[in-house]
Amino acid sequence: MFRSVLLFLFLFPWPLLAQPLGCELVLSGRVSDEHDRSGLGFAEVRILELARSVQADEQGVYRIEGLCEGSYTLQVAHLGCDPVIVKIQLSRSTEKDLFLEHHESELKDLEVIRKRPDENVGLSRTELDKAALESSAGRTLAEALSSIPGVNMLSSGPTINKPVIHGLYGNRILTLNQGIRQEDQQWGTEHAPNLDPFSSDRITVLKGAASVQYGADAMGGVVITEPVELPREGGLRGELRGVGLLNGRGGGGNGSLQGTIPSVRGLGWRVQGGGRYLGDAEAPNYVLSNTGVRESGGSAALGWHRFRGGVDIFYSYFARELGILRASHIGNLTDLQNAIESGEPWYQEPFTYAIEAPRQSVQHHLLKVGSTYRLTDRNELVLTYGYQADDRQEFDIRRGGRTERPAIDLWLATHTGDAVFKHFIGKHLHGKVGANGVFQRNTNIPGTGIRPLIPDFEKVSGGVFVLEHLPLGERLEFEAGARLEASRLQVSKYDLNDVYIMPEHEFVNHAFSFGVNRTLADSTHFRANVSSAFRPPQVSELYSEGLHHGSAAIEIGDPTLGSERSLKASVDVEGRWLNKRLSWGGTVYLDRIANYIYLRPQGYQLTIRGAFPEFAYVSTDALLWGLDLSGEFAFSARWSLRSRWSFVRGRDQVRDEWLFQMPADRGENSLIWRNKEAGGWRAIEASCTSTLVLEQTRYPVGLDFTEPPPGYHLLGLSCSATKPLGKNELRLGVQGNNLLNLAYRDYLDRFRYYTDARGSDVSVVIRYSWGAEHH
Amino acid sequence: MRTTTFLERGAILLFCVMFITSCKKDEDDPVTPTAPPVNEEELITTVRITFNTLSDAEYKYFVFTDLDGDGGNAPVITADTLSEDSIYNMNIEVLNESVSPIEEITQEIVAEGVDHQFFYQVTGANLLLAYGDADANAMPIGQSGSCIAGGPSTGTLKLTLRHMPDKNAAGVSAGDIANAGGDTDIEVTFPAVVQ
Repeated sequence: MFRSVLLFLFLFPWPLLAQPLGCELVLSGRVSDEHDRSGLGFAEVRILELARSVQADEQGVYRIEGLCEGSYTLQVAHLGCDPVIVKIQLSRSTEKDLFLEHHESELKDLEVIRKRPDENVGLSRTELDKAALESSAGRTLAEALSSIPGVNMLSSGPTINKPVIHGLYGNRILTLNQGIRQEDQQWGTEHAPNLDPFSSDRITVLKGAASVQYGADAMGGVVITEPVELPREGGLRGELRGVGLLNGRGGGGNGSLQGTIPSVRGLGWRVQGGGRYLGDAEAPNYVLSNTGVRESGGSAALGWHRFRGGVDIFYSYFARELGILRASHIGNLTDLQNAIESGEPWYQEPFTYAIEAPRQSVQHHLLKVGSTYRLTDRNELVLTYGYQADDRQEFDIRRGGRTERPAIDLWLATHTGDAVFKHFIGKHLHGKVGANGVFQRNTNIPGTGIRPLIPDFEKVSGGVFVLEHLPLGERLEFEAGARLEASRLQVSKYDLNDVYIMPEHEFVNHAFSFGVNRTLADSTHFRANVSSAFRPPQVSELYSEGLHHGSAAIEIGDPTLGSERSLKASVDVEGRWLNKRLSWGGTVYLDRIANYIYLRPQGYQLTIRGAFPEFAYVSTDALLWGLDLSGEFAFSARWSLRSRWSFVRGRDQVRDEWLFQMPADRGENSLIWRNKEAGGWRAIEASCTSTLVLEQTRYPVGLDFTEPPPGYHLLGLSCSATKPLGKNELRLGVQGNNLLNLAYRDYLDRFRYYTDARGSDVSVVIRYSWGAEHH
Repeated sequence: MRTTTFLERGAILLFCVMFITSCKKDEDDPVTPTAPPVNEEELITTVRITFNTLSDAEYKYFVFTDLDGDGGNAPVITADTLSEDSIYNMNIEVLNESVSPIEEITQEIVAEGVDHQFFYQVTGANLLLAYGDADANAMPIGQSGSCIAGGPSTGTLKLTLRHMPDKNAAGVSAGDIANAGGDTDIEVTFPAVVQ
């Protein structure tokens, strides 16, 4: 496999690609007043280097064509405003909105709004910016994402949440942290992603199969925590954020500092750190004992960027210690039935910050080294290496003073290497060819005194891909791609008779994608995508054997399982109608997964602890389909109504029954009041949100221990505002969730057998940024 | 056509080196066993109830054995017939017989007696069981006790060991499991015959 990659590299006609080509880039955008965002008609935008200038139209919209790649200095001027100088780096056609202020002359920090990113064409994507992330500050990544239509949350009590995209979760969705595929034992439903959602300013969710670019596992979608761009110029900037949470009686905070080293042009740095400390969560009628959580983490980045290329080094550390609801630790099926019948947790103690067994302690290290090198004006080579170490310890309630010894102690080390060549072929066709390699080793640290739930293994995989993008005029673009990937898994374990075995598995998979973006009118966009994706089975699916305490079940793997293969088609439509007063979007998708692997009950096994249900990993053919809808209507300048809905359906086509653990229908309606400026405050927003989750009526009969819980309705209120203080900025936000203190259980909460979900909660967020050049 | 520059060649070389090194890893030595197989330390393979008459004239045993632990082979359950109209001393032993020497777990349970309690549930058989021991709080553990066998009858005896039961809940210290709570360490059911 790798030899062919080498051959490809040596034989590929690199110099041909390196031919200088015409300058076709377009810089466009809108010049507006930074206070009320009204367009500044007939503003002048001048490129100082080229001594070229254009005049914006009466709406403030400007457009400069025929630019080459490079860095430019823009001078933006308008009658009554002081001119503003903006430096930009142009590598592709870019939309840039420019802001002017009437009174002060300041260098403006520009927010680059990439309305049409030239990758993942045809896929529905949602970005959560800083403000959206802050509205769920102090909570988990999955909670922050669950406001997106089509994204749900699979929980194990209040502390452990995993994102679900279009009905798929765990190893069927991929998390890209700083551009590196996150490897942190996602096979476990009680294993949350080990990263701090607030270490990033923007999180993007791709709701579609994206295996071509990202490799295995990107079946349901991709969660991308975007790397924060390092400054290339300017002074010291910083940010401090504090969060207080009523439910859990704790909070968190984080801070970041970034700057440049003036003596070395293009050298920027950023350090960031934070933490979270919460005690027991509280349901309306009782304390959820042993659900505290504490987290700490930090990162440091250093980057040197010049026009020709650059190098980045990034390191991050994340540690989490969390308690697992004490009442969820049960001995056998009788205990589970008792828990379901009693209707409340059997173990309830007064509120405490202490965390006892059962608990998890995880640490995640990530080191990333990346470099980009511009071979010619239009061709670029990007090399990335990542090292991750994931240290997971799980502590159970044990006899004879063994509670302090981990019951599961895993060390997962992963090396990833990517090489991507970004190129232009001819005038318009451009894209990427690349190769990725992953080497991974999982080790059970001896000393647990318990047979490992999953064995030691080594995994090597390598893939090559090509993804080409063809814009045809302003309104139509196509993208097509293909990938070939091979992986080898070598397992080493003792079988039930203590004989050492080293079974080996090899998987070869391919994926393709085809996407189209079509702008029907300036106000209406259409996207369609057909992609295939694959996922080789996890070690847990192949070799689990024994009792899984968290689920009170005996789980049996099947070493003969093959790769899951999916084919997903989606259509996404987006519109801004009625003079932009009505904005709406809809995504409809159909996803066929061959060889879909899941746990299926196989009867009961008698043990010394009583009877346990036995589950086996089996495969079937699944069909998932669904609809995400969102819309917002502004019925006055300040008031608007927003509605977001997601519907997912999943069928087991072989057994002709519904799939287990599919999200119930969910809707969120908000009444929003916005005011751009009042009394020195900006971006003032208040909203009242009602979240409605219907009862899941589509479930396989006889697979679950109890019926799905009834639907529920939650009420939330939030408000936030920003106060500019010269070069500094203060942001305040208050948010209340489940304000009616409703006792409810969610179908996707695995602890619904034992307890109600969290009751009412109020959070307060304060952010102070300084040194930034705000617009 | 322009030729590649030194820097470009360097970049391509770096790219290749990355993949050659991944190749090396690919051909790494097969994994060698780094640790011996794990002995399940908290494994309970055997529960044995000994019934002996007060005169020690008669010994009867109820035994549950599952040598390979959870899963694998099915457990073996044996129970002697108890004599009618007899009074027995009753003693529970909990063992791990998968290791040599056999591990005695009974003492571990008694040492943590405050957090453990055995419960006896009889259905059908004419048996009356009573606690005969106490933990540090003077609450029963149930590792030893007495058993009165009445007239000839057939039924079952279910023995349950609860970890962290609420011994103060109604009826629990008298042997009623209904309000005990906690989580189950042992739950085995024996056929019980009195003749």
